[in-house]
Amino acid sequence: MSQPTAPEALGSLTDETPIDPNSKKAKAITGRSPMQIALGRLLRDKIAVICAIVILFFIIVAVFAPLINKMLGVNTDTVFPSQYLDMLGGGMPLEGPPNNGFDPDHPFGIAPQTADDNLAYWVEGCRTSLTIAALATLFASVLGIVIGLLAGFLGGMVDKVLSFFIDLFLTVPFLLAALTLAPILNERFNTADSYVTIQKFSLIGVLAVFGWMGMARLIRGEVLSLREREFVQAARVLGMPTSRVLIKELMPNLAAPIIISVSLMLPAFVAAEAGLAFLGIGVTSGASWGQTIAKAVKYFEQYSLYLWEPLIGVVLLVLSLNLLGDAIRDALDPKTRR
Amino acid sequence: MKRNKPLALVAGAALITLAACGGGNGDDTEGTGTGTDKKFGAQEGGTKDETLQGPAEELEGATEGGTVTVYVAGDPGPNSLDPTDGWSVLGNSIQQALTHRSLTQYKRGEDGQPVLVPDLAVDLGQPNEDYTEWTFTIRDDATWEDGKPVTAEEVAWGIQRSLDAETFPAGPGAEYSKGYFAGGADYAGPYTDKGKAYDAISFDGQDVTIKMEKPFPDMDYWGAFMAMGPAPLGKASQPPNYGTDPLSNGPYKIEKWTPSEELILTKNDQWIAESDPARHQYVDEWIFKFDQDQAKVDQIMLSGNSDSQTAIATSIGSDKYEQANSELGERLVQQTSQCVSTLTPDYSKITDINVRKALAYAYPYQDVWLAGGEVPGVTRVPANSIMPPGMAGKVEDFQPDGEQITYNPEKAKELLAEAGEEGYQITMIFYEVDPLAVAVQKQITKGFESAGFKVKAIPVQVSPYDIWLNPDDKVNKTLNLRGVNWCSDWPAGSTMLPPLLSSDGVYNTAGFNEEAIDQEMEDIAAMPLEDQADAWGALDAKIMEEYFPIIPTAFRNDLFVFGEKIGNPSGDAALGAPNYKDFYVMQ
Repeated sequence: MSQPTAPEALGSLTDETPIDPNSKKAKAITGRSPMQIALGRLLRDKIAVICAIVILFFIIVAVFAPLINKMLGVNTDTVFPSQYLDMLGGGMPLEGPPNNGFDPDHPFGIAPQTADDNLAYWVEGCRTSLTIAALATLFASVLGIVIGLLAGFLGGMVDKVLSFFIDLFLTVPFLLAALTLAPILNERFNTADSYVTIQKFSLIGVLAVFGWMGMARLIRGEVLSLREREFVQAARVLGMPTSRVLIKELMPNLAAPIIISVSLMLPAFVAAEAGLAFLGIGVTSGASWGQTIAKAVKYFEQYSLYLWEPLIGVVLLVLSLNLLGDAIRDALDPKTRR
Repeated sequence: MKRNKPLALVAGAALITLAACGGGNGDDTEGTGTGTDKKFGAQEGGTKDETLQGPAEELEGATEGGTVTVYVAGDPGPNSLDPTDGWSVLGNSIQQALTHRSLTQYKRGEDGQPVLVPDLAVDLGQPNEDYTEWTFTIRDDATWEDGKPVTAEEVAWGIQRSLDAETFPAGPGAEYSKGYFAGGADYAGPYTDKGKAYDAISFDGQDVTIKMEKPFPDMDYWGAFMAMGPAPLGKASQPPNYGTDPLSNGPYKIEKWTPSEELILTKNDQWIAESDPARHQYVDEWIFKFDQDQAKVDQIMLSGNSDSQTAIATSIGSDKYEQANSELGERLVQQTSQCVSTLTPDYSKITDINVRKALAYAYPYQDVWLAGGEVPGVTRVPANSIMPPGMAGKVEDFQPDGEQITYNPEKAKELLAEAGEEGYQITMIFYEVDPLAVAVQKQITKGFESAGFKVKAIPVQVSPYDIWLNPDDKVNKTLNLRGVNWCSDWPAGSTMLPPLLSSDGVYNTAGFNEEAIDQEMEDIAAMPLEDQADAWGALDAKIMEEYFPIIPTAFRNDLFVFGEKIGNPSGDAALGAPNYKDFYVMQ
């Protein structure tokens, strides 16, 4: 038997007191910007939160590297290995792993051959890795955004020329360029006292110069579709200068793709830096995870901890950055519902 | 003779060695369990046996057949197989032992010492009174791989080719043929000086006669280089094509050669055992694999699988030394390479001997070896002078400063204070592409700085030799500390001291320049042969004591690994390489 709709029920709707637009409840519903909604989704994503914590840990390690080393009582100074290694017994450390227990002076153990402290090098390697990746990402994305905006919005000849450069840079093999550039820079600057800094910045330069094209293409595509929209047309008709249209009208609408591609660019650069260091280009003096991995590979059997430490560092950092990037993309995309 | 590995460019075939583990023929009863005690055997000067004739005596238990694979880690091998072009330890050790014969050759003696014996010549050559003319009688039963006999004319032609330094810039002829043969300095060789007559080398019947510019008593040793062997006449030996597939006359011929990758040698059935006093032809096929990854080679050799049983590795990673030493026993062979590593302070910039001595005391020897991936006391041993241990005439117990110089920063500080040069600025280069070289440089810098020096280390990405040997290089001009690794070409001081310390020496990176010493070197070369060895030894000691112009940091040794089915694992003391002439595969 069907129950007829009770008039009371209908009446109750109309009877409800209208929501006060200034109440807290109303704000919770109406006052959330798209970014806030995305952030809310992100916070509900457990993987994203864990990744963010891991990344935060690495960032803290990187920023406070010297302090952390000081606190733990380790340093990257060169020591004489003959005092710490078993010269006649295979060159393994006299104390600590792999043949002895935990050594409180060197929590991560010391390296074979050089007796360098692994923890100090790990912490400094984290700093190197994140500094280079962050700066390269910054430069590459600024370059990519500017070129993408200009190419997409101005169109015509400008678009053709800029697109040509995007294609041109895409054709140059990145690894080849890095390999060629290293000896040229060395030849030019090796007598300078600031060689180490120059080397670091040239690496950032190489990564940025060969890393901006993806971003530029993405932005250009977005701008091409956005510039035909009514609000942009209106802005142009009102006589807004191009720079204002670009920055005030277009940029806010590009926030989502930019955040996504930045969050995916960062892990790519971390991996690229480690890869180049492994190959012996890039950072050659100073600490770098890639370099430690290159040295540790042949000791995998006797002293696997030595290889695991930098490896876990790279893998954990890259994986976390990638997963967080994916989560941000999901959170920002209104079409996904998870 | 050079080594292609970065930082190990080296010149020299070596004589005299240690017999690593007794050097026996594989059946020493000594315990092989923990062979941790590798000691240098007693060493003597090289010996000669001019009467030895073929065939080489059979090795006990040797059997025919089998394929031997040789893994060469970190060295791309020779660029050309032309015998005239060969001056590297790796290329010469293979070709001289297996494919290319010359006037004389070395045989591994009873005690592991190399013995100079005849090869294509019936004896070790007949010099005249003052060693200015040598006559070699070529044997009539030696053959090429195509079955034709090797003639005296072909030998004379091969020797004449060695004078062409333009065509063979990497060949040893530029140093010795041009330096000693009559008119050699003015004759640019048969390819560059086309058609020009050169009459210092002549042949008559089976005799080849070479006239010398100045007395050359070591011609019989020089004859052991494959550059002093035959080449087919005329177009057949035209460089550079001949270098890709030279005609063999040894027990093996070249089946296939892929530069930097692989060299395959197969039996040469035209080789007559009776004509050759030292080579054997037990193995069916040789496969040389170049430019291998050391870690991979170590894994293969230590695995004991069927691949490794008939394999030889020409080196082993220091990280695997301990394991190899305890597991392999006699199959890990240690071989002196008759080489010395040195630091060379610029003689015109660091003029005070006390500063040079302070550098020697400030160099952290053990730490540098460890950081550089060497095994202290095994692949590197402390050095006292330039001539390597065991070289005839060397004053073995000589020490330039009373006792063995070791790392002693206090002493270095005193010496610096004495010279009034506290805080002396040292400028040097290091090869930053190699992490080992970077680690080594860190040790050196720390050592020097704790002894009161200031150090500026310039990273470079080309071979340091390219900079050290280029007088116009702008970086080189700023340096006051260089280095060189040098090996002897035969067991005589004349291949060690003049190249490093005469004022026009090719590898005199110190720029050492003392007229008195130059004169003394010339005087020794003119001495009666039997007095020369001692004179070189005395000069070696005198230079170190009075001038201390270069700092010998180490004498070098090599390690070879043999598979368990390789018969007679041993080293070739003459070249510092595996003794390819005497191997067989146990069936």
